[in-house]
Amino acid sequence: MSSSALPNTTGTQASSLGPTRTSTFERRLAKRYRAERNFRLIGMSAVIFSVAVLVFLLGNMLINGISGFQRAELAVTIDFAESGVTGDAVSLTAPSAMQTLEMQGLPDVVTFFAEAQLGADAAAEISPEAWRDLANALAEDPDLVSRSKTFHLATSSALAAGLQGEGAPETQVLAQRLAQDGKLSRNWDWGFLARSDATNPRSVGIWGALKGTMLTMLVTLVLAFPIGVLSALYLEEYAPRNRWTDVIEVSISNLAAVPSIIFGLLGLAVFLALFPNLRSAPLIGGMTLALMTMPVIVISGRNAIKAVPPSIRDGALAIGASPIQVVFHHVLPLALPGMLTGTIIGMARALGETAPLLLIGMRIFVATPPDGFTSPATVLPMQIFLWSDEIDRGFVERTSAAIIVLLVFLLAMNGLAIYLRNKFEKRW
Amino acid sequence: MTVIHPNMTDEGAKIRARDVCVYYGDKKAIDEVSIDISPNYVTAFIGPSGCGKSTFLRCFNRMNDTIGAAKVTGLIELDGEDIHASQMDVVQLRARVGMVFQKPNPFPKSIYENIAYGPKIHGLAEKKADLDIVVERSLTRAGLWDEVKDRLDDSGTALSGGQQQRLCIARAIAVDPEVILMDEPASALDPIATAKIEELIDDLSGRYAIVIVTHSMQQAARVSQRTAFFHLGKMVEYGPTSEIFTNPIEERTKDYITGRYG
Repeated sequence: MSSSALPNTTGTQASSLGPTRTSTFERRLAKRYRAERNFRLIGMSAVIFSVAVLVFLLGNMLINGISGFQRAELAVTIDFAESGVTGDAVSLTAPSAMQTLEMQGLPDVVTFFAEAQLGADAAAEISPEAWRDLANALAEDPDLVSRSKTFHLATSSALAAGLQGEGAPETQVLAQRLAQDGKLSRNWDWGFLARSDATNPRSVGIWGALKGTMLTMLVTLVLAFPIGVLSALYLEEYAPRNRWTDVIEVSISNLAAVPSIIFGLLGLAVFLALFPNLRSAPLIGGMTLALMTMPVIVISGRNAIKAVPPSIRDGALAIGASPIQVVFHHVLPLALPGMLTGTIIGMARALGETAPLLLIGMRIFVATPPDGFTSPATVLPMQIFLWSDEIDRGFVERTSAAIIVLLVFLLAMNGLAIYLRNKFEKRW
Repeated sequence: MTVIHPNMTDEGAKIRARDVCVYYGDKKAIDEVSIDISPNYVTAFIGPSGCGKSTFLRCFNRMNDTIGAAKVTGLIELDGEDIHASQMDVVQLRARVGMVFQKPNPFPKSIYENIAYGPKIHGLAEKKADLDIVVERSLTRAGLWDEVKDRLDDSGTALSGGQQQRLCIARAIAVDPEVILMDEPASALDPIATAKIEELIDDLSGRYAIVIVTHSMQQAARVSQRTAFFHLGKMVEYGPTSEIFTNPIEERTKDYITGRYG
């Protein structure tokens, strides 16, 4: 190409220099590099900002939440042999043991020993539900009925506040005295992970909500994953391209964007109308959340199937594989990692969902963990919501602790899904 | 309109095509092509890009069925059986007519699995020992056995391009087809790998009827005994390879062969 055909940008420069060796070109070049540096800087600051926000959020949650795993406890030695409580291995482990022991006066036994060892004012600050710890211990070890044991019993909110230097002056003095005697202390409360909801923040636990979440998520996964994957496969591999499939495609995309509370209304109107006695059950909750999760799985599944190279399909077809063999031997294994990514996103969204579950009655006080898919239950985000609404100050820490449990559960679930995805991932 | 060289004395045709047309929507990609493919020779389809030679090749194992907009008319017979007849099963047809593609497309599975897949789905080998024999025989015929016998469990995609293409050929012959269709099998390979593929085609001819589509006239001249020249969806000339290259009858064939266009 002759040089005269190029635009002359050299200005006063000698025309013998090429167009890429002029000062104008060098200025433009410097500008291009500057633009790139600026872009990198902006990108990096965006990443740093989001990491900082995340660290702040998690750090704050952790600092607040750690104390939620602790509780103020009073040490009381109970001598069952002298208490007048009777029972044998059969009666103490029976389901009705709780009522039997209450009628035998176990709550009064606690008060009696506490008054003797700590004084009347301290005994009054023991949680009225504390006797349940004794009953549980007896159920675990019936021989205890003839021995004595030291229990760490939950205190009232006032004494717990007093230990932290808050509340009424006389309670603070009492708390200090008991703490110096080694009777009152803040201990790690592992029972938090094993108990269920209660009215006293010292005796609440997360296990009921955690188990409810597990059951609900299981129902969601079992319904949404196969239905979503099979829908994606059918739409992508078998369905003819016509107006009907276009309508279905648009509907699925719209479904993924529908506000979650609408799904709750649907669950209320359809599922609860069909099964009216399953209100608050994980089964209904899981079905409602499955409706919400399915479109996400279908959309990501279709994209994953589209990303499988056509040459693999051709290769399998040319060797005489039937369409269903092509799908299940070649397309599905290659699309599975992408489908799992969509499932992670959908399940994570369902895990944090509260609104649709409000409408199907999972906003309930659950004092005993659900024992199946059909018994009343609540879920972690709902438990957080319920506790954050409580007036008692002790619930603030418990709420943070519940949030930590929710986040750990989320991380564990995602970790498992990412592990599975990497395991199935293949390159071609 | 098609010039068939008179001195082709081929007896019996493996594949007989009569007045085959292929439409992509409204576009006519193949216009009334009739050809007899001999079982004993390598037949090459040559022609400029977009002339329809690959489309025509894909008619023989009905791979055009997978393209929704494609429509095939006319008669294609394999050993006298109409391949579009209702009693002809497409899965069985494709087991009888194997295909090798332009870009090597091994499955993202082990080398062993790649070869064993066809025999497995067709139930040709029930026991593991039988399968082992099929795998070894296919890889040996494809000239790949010595290179991969110690790493049969490695992924097929980890092989080099030329090895991958020979793996695809081995995969095709593992189900013992009668015809092998090759759609520009060496166009993505370097000259040494190409030479190996051509050598392999030479070895396989006689055992299988082979139809090869190629861009390279030299390749057609080297590996084939019969050549068909396609241009703009029509078959212009068909005859023994030596005649097509040294003594073409049609002006368009002569122009293409001497490099006037293409």
